[in-house]
Amino acid sequence: MAKQEPPPSPPSPTASFYDMSDDEEDDYNTIKHAKSGRGVKLLFSKSKVYVHPSPSSKDNIPGFIALIQQKSPAQTSANRPTSSSSSKTIASSSLLLAWVPESSLGDAYDTYVKVDLSDSDSPPKQKYLVPPPPTTTSHSSAVGTYAFAVPISEVFSLLVRPPSLGWWFGSVVINTRAGDSFPALFFHDSECQSTILQRKKLARESFDISSDGGGMFWGGDEVLRWLKRYVTVERSGVDNTVYLIEPSNADKVGFGGKPASPEPGQSVPEAPAGAAKSSAGGAPFPSRRDGGMDPVTKALKEARWNFLEKLSQVTTFTRRTAQAVAENPKMPPQMRRLMRNPEVQTIQEEFDSARLYLARWAMGIAEQSERERSQRIWTAKDVLEMEESEVGDFEILDMEVGNMSMADKRKPVMMDEWEKWFDMSGRLQITPDEVKDRIFHGGLDPEDGVRKEAWLFLLGVYEWNTSRDERQVKMNSLRDEYIRLKGAWWERTAEGHVTLEENEWWKEQKMRIEKDVHRTDRHIPLFAGEDIPHPDPDSPFAESGTNVHMEQMKDMLLTYNEYNKDLGYVQGMSDLLAPIYAVMQDDAVAFWAFVGFMERMERNFLRDQSGMRRQLLTLDHLVQLVDPKLYLHLQKAESTNFFFFFRMLLVWYKREFEWLDVLRLWECLWTDWLSSNFHLFIALAILEKHRNVIMDHLQHFDEVLKYVNELSNTIDLQSTLIRAESLFRRFQRMVEAIDKRSNFPAPSVRQRKPTPASPTESNANGASSGADAAPQPKRQSVGDAVAQGIGLEKQKIISPELRSLLSRKVEKLDKAELKEHGGGVT
Amino acid sequence: MASRKKVLLKVIILGDSGVGKTSLMNQYVNKKFSASYKATIGADFLTKEVLVDDRLVTMQLWDTAGQERFQSLGVAFYRGADCCVLVYDVNNSKSFDTLDSWRDEFLIQASPMDPESFPFVVLGNKIDVEEGRRTVSTKKANTFCQAKGGIPYFETSAKEAINVEQAFETIARQALAQEESTDFNSEFPETIPIDIPNDSNGCSC
Repeated sequence: MAKQEPPPSPPSPTASFYDMSDDEEDDYNTIKHAKSGRGVKLLFSKSKVYVHPSPSSKDNIPGFIALIQQKSPAQTSANRPTSSSSSKTIASSSLLLAWVPESSLGDAYDTYVKVDLSDSDSPPKQKYLVPPPPTTTSHSSAVGTYAFAVPISEVFSLLVRPPSLGWWFGSVVINTRAGDSFPALFFHDSECQSTILQRKKLARESFDISSDGGGMFWGGDEVLRWLKRYVTVERSGVDNTVYLIEPSNADKVGFGGKPASPEPGQSVPEAPAGAAKSSAGGAPFPSRRDGGMDPVTKALKEARWNFLEKLSQVTTFTRRTAQAVAENPKMPPQMRRLMRNPEVQTIQEEFDSARLYLARWAMGIAEQSERERSQRIWTAKDVLEMEESEVGDFEILDMEVGNMSMADKRKPVMMDEWEKWFDMSGRLQITPDEVKDRIFHGGLDPEDGVRKEAWLFLLGVYEWNTSRDERQVKMNSLRDEYIRLKGAWWERTAEGHVTLEENEWWKEQKMRIEKDVHRTDRHIPLFAGEDIPHPDPDSPFAESGTNVHMEQMKDMLLTYNEYNKDLGYVQGMSDLLAPIYAVMQDDAVAFWAFVGFMERMERNFLRDQSGMRRQLLTLDHLVQLVDPKLYLHLQKAESTNFFFFFRMLLVWYKREFEWLDVLRLWECLWTDWLSSNFHLFIALAILEKHRNVIMDHLQHFDEVLKYVNELSNTIDLQSTLIRAESLFRRFQRMVEAIDKRSNFPAPSVRQRKPTPASPTESNANGASSGADAAPQPKRQSVGDAVAQGIGLEKQKIISPELRSLLSRKVEKLDKAELKEHGGGVT
Repeated sequence: MASRKKVLLKVIILGDSGVGKTSLMNQYVNKKFSASYKATIGADFLTKEVLVDDRLVTMQLWDTAGQERFQSLGVAFYRGADCCVLVYDVNNSKSFDTLDSWRDEFLIQASPMDPESFPFVVLGNKIDVEEGRRTVSTKKANTFCQAKGGIPYFETSAKEAINVEQAFETIARQALAQEESTDFNSEFPETIPIDIPNDSNGCSC
C-alpha cells in the first residue's frame, strides 16, 4: 500500500517550462520538453487508474487517466483558450483522453500528481506541460503495456461502470468511432488521493444526503465532468452505462435518450448541455452527477453494511409495517423507492427473514451486473471474478497450451472442427486428451449437431480409438440389445411376474416413472405437448394426454429399470435422461448414452444414500482446506452437513442452470479433464462466489438452505466454470505443498498447540465449539486441524476423500456393492 | 422467554411422491397452482405469517422429496418440528397405506419429547379428480385418524384451492399449541442459540 502512495508533491513546480501563467501564454506545444522536444498541456489527471491485463491482480498496471490539450493543426490562435471560461470552445480534436502507466512517466510523474491534486473544478491556472503520449485511434492486442491517447473527436462513446456490488472498482472503457474498444480502465478509488479528497469535500458540503441522487463520488464521475466542460456528453437511453461523446443526430436517434436537441435552444454543439449545466449552477459539484452508483453500492461503499443492517431492522416487521414505513413522507427517497420495488415486495412475501432477503437481493444485483458485463466487455470478466473472491491469489489461467490460446479454447467446438480430428476411416487422429481439453474449456456447439456425435464418446458408448465402421457395428448390436431389454419388461407387465413382491415393485416403479416424466422439463418444447391420447386409461394423466417424447422417456426409464434391477428407477433419473434424449432424439441411442452417464451417477441413488453422503463429506473437507474461515462460519450456522448442495450434486445442477447451460456444464464434467469429481469444484465455486453474503448475513441452517436453493437460475455458468478451474488448481497446489512438507521429518514444534493468530479467530473457535453439537468423529481430524491452524499450513491433513479429487478416473460402483446398497428389486 | 417473542412454527409435510405436497404448500402460501411442478429434490421451505387468535406467528413449511430413500437425510429438518402434516392422494390407495409408516418414521427421527401427544394433521388431496377414480373413502380415512388418537383430517384440492386455508389454519393452531407446551417444560431447549451477541438482531423470529 505504502509504495503505491503518490509521493508528496513539491511545493512549487520545479521544471521551468510549466511555470508560465495564462497571460504570458505562449505557443505552448512548441515548448521543448527535455526529452521529447515537445510538450502538451495537461488539463486534468487522475491517479491510480489501472489496466487489468490478466486475471491476476499482480499484473495490474497503475497509471493516470488524463485530459490533454494539444495544439491542433486546424486550430487558429483566435479560438485558442486563454482561460477556463472560454475552455468550451476548444475543438474536440485538440483534446486527448489519455492513459499513461506510472512507469512510463519518468520526470513527468510529479506533474501528473500535481495536476491530479489541484482543485479539479476548473482547469489548472498554471499550465502544466508533459511529454505527449502517443496518439492512437485504435489499440493493438498488446493491451495495457503502452500509453494511449485518443483525440476526443475520435471517441464515440464511453462505457461507464460505477462501482457496484459485483464490481468493486468502477471502470471506463473508451469506444472509438472506428469501432475499437480500449482496455477497461479501473478506478482504484481508495488509493487515489484526489478522489479521497474530493469525497471528503463532498461530504462536508452536502449535508442532505437524500438530495444527492447520483450516489457516491468516484473517479469515473470526475472524467465525465472533465469532458462535459468541453464537449457534449449524452447518456444513452438504450443503455444507461453508455455515454455518447458529441453524438450526431443519427447517433442520438439510435442510442440517445431523446431524439436530438435535448433542451430547447441547446441544439448547437458549441454550447454543450453539460458545460452549460455545470457553469449555470455555479456549485462546485452539480447536484446530480452522472455515472453514479446504485444506492445500495453507495451505501455499501460508504458504510459497509450499516445501511442494510438498519433496513433489515425495518423489514423484520411485518409487511404491513414495512408498507407504512414506505409511505412515510420523511423516508429518504432511495429508501422509499427500495420498498416500493415490486421485486422487494414479492421477496418479502416469500420469506420474512430480512437478512436472507437482503443477502439475496444484494447478490442479485451483483449477478445481474455480471451478466450484463459479460455480454459487453468480456475481456475484463475474468478480472471481476478474481477481485470478488477472497480465496486468495488466482494464477493466470490464460496460459498457452499447445498452440492454441485460451481465448480460442473457450470457443465452442463446431462440427467442422470435430470432423477434422478424424481421418478418412473415422479414426481419431489426435489424442483423446486433446479432445477433452477442448471440450472442457469450450464446450460443444449447441446447434450444429456435434453433440449428438461427441456425447457418445464422452459417455463411453464409443471407444475413442475406434473406426466409423466399428462404431456402426457397435451401435447396431446396442440397438438390438435395447429392443431385447425393452421387450423383457414389456412381457413381464403383460404376463405378470414371478413373485408378488416383484409384481408390486414393477407396478410401483411404473407409477413413479409415469409421475416423474410428466413433470420433467415440460417447459422444453419437445416435452411440452399433450397431443396424443394416453395409452393407459388408468394413468392419472389419462385425461390430459401425453406426447410421443414423454412416452419414449417412460420406455427408456422402464428399460433402465430392467437393465439395472439392483438399483431401479429413482427420482432424479428422469432429470438426467431428458437432456440426453433431447440431444439424441433416438431412444436406443439415448438409452445407452444414459446408461453411460448412470455408471458414474449410480452412487447418487443408493438406498442408504451412502454415495451422496460421501460426496457431501468430500465437499466438507474441501471447504475446510480451501476456505477455513467460511467453514467456521458454516459450522456456527450448523450447516456443515452441506445438505444445501444435495440437489445440485444429485442431478448435477440440473435445477440450478438454464437448459442450454446444463448441456454445456455436463459435457464439461464428462471430460474428467481435471478431476472426475469436478462437479464438487463447481459447488465450491458457487459457494465461494457467495461466501461474503453467507458470512455476513446467514446465521442458521434454514437461512443458508433457503439462500442456496434460491440461487437456482441466477448463476452465471461461464464465470462459474472459470472460477471452478482456478479453485481446482489452487487445491492441487495446496495438496502438493502439503505433501512436499510432510516428506520432511516432523519438527517437534508441530506437536505444540498453536496459539490462535488473532483474537477473532479464537472467538470463532470458542463460539463454534459451544454452540455446535460435537462434530462427527470422521471429520474431526481435518476439522480440528484447520480450525486451530488457520494459516498454519502444516497442520492440514489431506484426507483420502480430498486426495480422490485429484484423480481423473471415474469412481464406479462394483456390482456387489450395488446389490447391497442399491435398493432395487433383487 | 417472554411470550412477546416472535413465534416460529416449524411444520413438516410428508407423504408419498406425487401426492401434492409442494402444490398444497404453494397454494397456501402463494395462492397459486401450477400443473408443472418438478419433483422435489432435497428439501425446501416456504414461510407465511398468520394470525392465530390475535397472535402473529410465522409458519415455516418444510417440503421434502417423497421417495422414501431420500428420507434418511431428513433428520436435519425434522428436529424442532411443531407439527407434522401427512398427505396422501385420495385416488391412490398406496399413498394412503403408507401414512402409518410416514408417521412412525417421523416420530423416530424427530424424537419429540412426548410422541403420544405430538400433533399430526392428515390431508387427503386431489379431491377435484372425477369421482370414479377415487379409491380411498372419507370413512376409511376418518377411521384411520380416529385410531391414531384423533388426528384432524381434511380433504383438499390444491388445484381448486378447496379446504387448503382451513387445513392450514388447524395446522397453525396445533403447531402453536405444541410450541407453547414445549416452552413450559423446556428441559431440553431445542434450538435456543447460545450464540454470541451479534446474533441478537438475527432472525430467531
